[in-house]
Amino acid sequence: MPANKLIPLAEAVRRYTRDGIQYASGAALPVGSDAVVFGRELLRQKRKNLHAVFHCNTQQLNLLAGAGAVDKAECGFSGLEVFGFANGLRRAVESGQTALEDYSNLAMALRLLGGAMNWPFVPATVNIGSDIQQRSAFAPDEYPATRKIPTVTDPFSGQEIGAFSPLKPDVAAIHVSLADPLGNAIMLGTEWSRFELSRAAKKVILIADAIVDTDCMRQYPNLVRIPDIVVEAVVYHPFAAWPQSSPGFYDVDEAHMKLMNKALATEEGTADYVRDYVERYDDIDSYLDLIGRDNVERLSNSATSFLLDPYRQWIKTPAEIAALTAEVTA
Amino acid sequence: MSAPLTENLPYTRQEMMAIATGRELRDGELAIFGVGLSMLAGYFAQAHHAPNIRAMTEGGVYGATPVGGLPWGIECNRISANATSFTNALDALGFLVASGRCDVGIIGAAQVDKFGNVNTTGIWDGEIGDRYRLPKTRLTGAGGANDIACGAGRVVIMVTHEPKRFADQVSYISSPGYLDGGNARDKFGFVGGGPSAIVTTLGILRPDPVSKEFILDAYYAFSSVDEIRAATGWDLKVSPTVHVVPEPSPEELAALRRVDETGALRK
Repeated sequence: MPANKLIPLAEAVRRYTRDGIQYASGAALPVGSDAVVFGRELLRQKRKNLHAVFHCNTQQLNLLAGAGAVDKAECGFSGLEVFGFANGLRRAVESGQTALEDYSNLAMALRLLGGAMNWPFVPATVNIGSDIQQRSAFAPDEYPATRKIPTVTDPFSGQEIGAFSPLKPDVAAIHVSLADPLGNAIMLGTEWSRFELSRAAKKVILIADAIVDTDCMRQYPNLVRIPDIVVEAVVYHPFAAWPQSSPGFYDVDEAHMKLMNKALATEEGTADYVRDYVERYDDIDSYLDLIGRDNVERLSNSATSFLLDPYRQWIKTPAEIAALTAEVTA
Repeated sequence: MSAPLTENLPYTRQEMMAIATGRELRDGELAIFGVGLSMLAGYFAQAHHAPNIRAMTEGGVYGATPVGGLPWGIECNRISANATSFTNALDALGFLVASGRCDVGIIGAAQVDKFGNVNTTGIWDGEIGDRYRLPKTRLTGAGGANDIACGAGRVVIMVTHEPKRFADQVSYISSPGYLDGGNARDKFGFVGGGPSAIVTTLGILRPDPVSKEFILDAYYAFSSVDEIRAATGWDLKVSPTVHVVPEPSPEELAALRRVDETGALRK
């Protein structure tokens, strides 16, 4: 019998994360879905020496790396798209604090697929022939790198190709639009690699912008790409991706994206940012106060709001969610 | 970096680059656009001469056109507000690009070399050497551009024309062009054909059919062969048929500016 898995954010970080784990974010690129708020909580609980698996960099990795909590990272794309370079990650890489292993965006998805399938390796027809194959930040003295994307022979054609190593992160914090208390989830917008990640990771925590009744999942079962049977815990957190966007819920906070990235460019700015935007809230209400209630309202007025219409009738109120959470933690 | 308004011309150099890039796309093609200016060039083509182009982004966002200006990312709400299908990276970059189905891709570059190899990973002072030492400046990494460079039928590279961006040899190949030139791609069995053009803020370079070295094919009304050669970090050869690119028509400019609602190319 599936059980109610709703727990508070701080409890999820306490229970499922440790220093030095291989930690994956379930995100949709640097501007969209990501449980950035989970990364803030990792810092609040002083987690460090993380091995970050981020299909793409997001503001979460930018913050964690900028604050010195990441020893190793593996990424397909490590910028912030039109918002520019990720200054925190960049500073960590240039100083040697974080070893950043480069792959492409397809490679990261394929490696998660390989982990999910328990394959020994994944055939690589991309990344080969480039310095992504030749250079390894995890084995910098080896040139050309032999263990990152080794050359193998296609047994059918005889063609030389590459082999990607599968990924099985210890913990994945996956941002979803809607989750029920059992851990069934619907993602609005591109799912990027969250489907594969939810099967590749050893433990999956969902961070949802809204909690819905399970009846919602029974109405749209084809859209439930993450089912409860692979999920350990469900965290309700509105504006979990802020300052990034969540289709249907809120747009990207352009001003804060820039403010945050500018702050992360220096050690001093990062310390100020952590003081002002990581440590300065106690609960969901004070977190939303920090974003600014007017800002919350403005960002919620999104051209994508209509995407949420089919699901609105099942969205639970904060009071209902608090009662359900109390059941689990009692 | 901001594009200066072109002297006495009613468009910017970046707009000329976007329009010249868009002209490389043909109606009905399956096309994938990278983030930023590539996306504006691609959706300009759709708005102007290629209404039946089948456009996608690597996030697996299909059937969409940007609303409210240049999307902040390929998954931004500005491109998620009118999609007909959302899927995922494996689908877009794998099933539709690595498979060989995608006709054309548009990618950007921090640095490009004479064989069309692209560096978006980092800047080192001099060669990296045998040890993979820390970059002086860390850039964004390959993203999906490596996958597009390996898999798309042809690739158009869009890049601001400056000497530091046009190197004889890039210090790090993030996305393969023709590697060492000639048929060097064959060894890797890439399903994609490689870059067909480098479209810049000053002109258009195309590969020699045999050596695969990029040579100057065309310049703009406001640029010249000498200016382009001076802004290129290798001894750029000039095609015997070098010619001037037609200026943007009023219809082209109007279509581009409808897509570029926030004026990203005019800043």
